[in-house]
Amino acid sequence: MNLDWQGAWLSVIHHPLFGIAITLGAYQLVLAGYEKTRWVFLQPVLVSMLVVIGVLVACGLDYAEYRKSTDILSILLGPATVALAVPLYLNLRRIRQLFWPVLTTLVIGGVLATGLCVALGWVLGADHMILMTMAPKSVTSPIAMLVAEQIGGVAALAAVFVLITGVIGGIFGPGLLTLAGVQSPEARGMALGLTAHAVGTSAALQEGEECGAFAALAMSLMGVATALSLPLAVSLVA
Amino acid sequence: MLLRGLTWLVLFQLLGTALNHLILSILPGPIIGLVLLMIYLMVRGEVSESISLAASSLLRYLPLLLVPPAVGVMVYAGQIANDFWAIVGSLVLSLMISLTFAGWLMQKLIDRQHTEHQPNPREPS
Repeated sequence: MNLDWQGAWLSVIHHPLFGIAITLGAYQLVLAGYEKTRWVFLQPVLVSMLVVIGVLVACGLDYAEYRKSTDILSILLGPATVALAVPLYLNLRRIRQLFWPVLTTLVIGGVLATGLCVALGWVLGADHMILMTMAPKSVTSPIAMLVAEQIGGVAALAAVFVLITGVIGGIFGPGLLTLAGVQSPEARGMALGLTAHAVGTSAALQEGEECGAFAALAMSLMGVATALSLPLAVSLVA
Repeated sequence: MLLRGLTWLVLFQLLGTALNHLILSILPGPIIGLVLLMIYLMVRGEVSESISLAASSLLRYLPLLLVPPAVGVMVYAGQIANDFWAIVGSLVLSLMISLTFAGWLMQKLIDRQHTEHQPNPREPS
């Protein structure tokens, strides 16, 4: 009997569930590894991403096919963003008490995060398209993609920069804040959500509900503020 | 219970999508949905058990949901390699500086508000 091994292999890797399988598998593997070792570099999003890319390249699959088969996961990102309203609401009293610190940090921190990135990119010699794509890197990717397009960047690349920023924030953010002596969960959450959007917020949620709520608050405020003011600022400068 | 909560979340997002299309094209649907749900919760004055269950279940898996868009990096490997140092340098440095600064500033402002409004006898300073 001659079994069609190659055909079976091809139908497995091209099955719509294959993308889901490697994503779920990689994620759980990384989580289990993190539980065991507590090693900060095992940031779930980053390492799962690397594992999935490795599997895709090894199997000769392209991103478009993977993206299509994981649509069901991506589509849940919307309701998950909406769900951030719940921790926000539960911490509303605390947020009201800290209204002025939140607003001040949003304005100064937000301008610094965006301005510093563009200035550094300019000094290091990135071209105009890259600069405009990097400018909205601290906000959640749907907003960043819209804004990047408006000011002359590339939407898909903006999503990548947003992601790199988030992942670095998720890995080093909590450590940096501890080094700087930032102890209160409100301040830690605010800093993580403001500069590292959803990935920072998920890191903040791991620290606790209050920290997560301030991260969600900072992320949404930063998103709205960037969407409204960055196109305006760019048109004034140019 | 979980399904009912999930239905609410989806409904708010769809409402956000409609508003995004009609008037607020600058803000994405999910963010408008977040604001709407927030207003709804403030008006109701409590979080129903179903919404709370659905929200906490979804948020637990937020990192997992972010993996597929993250894998998109592989498509742009070439462009990133061209401007590698400028990109990595500015992204990493600006993030580290602004994140630390934002945390420090917020902490200072919180501490100052505490000493102004509610002096705590156990904590001198």
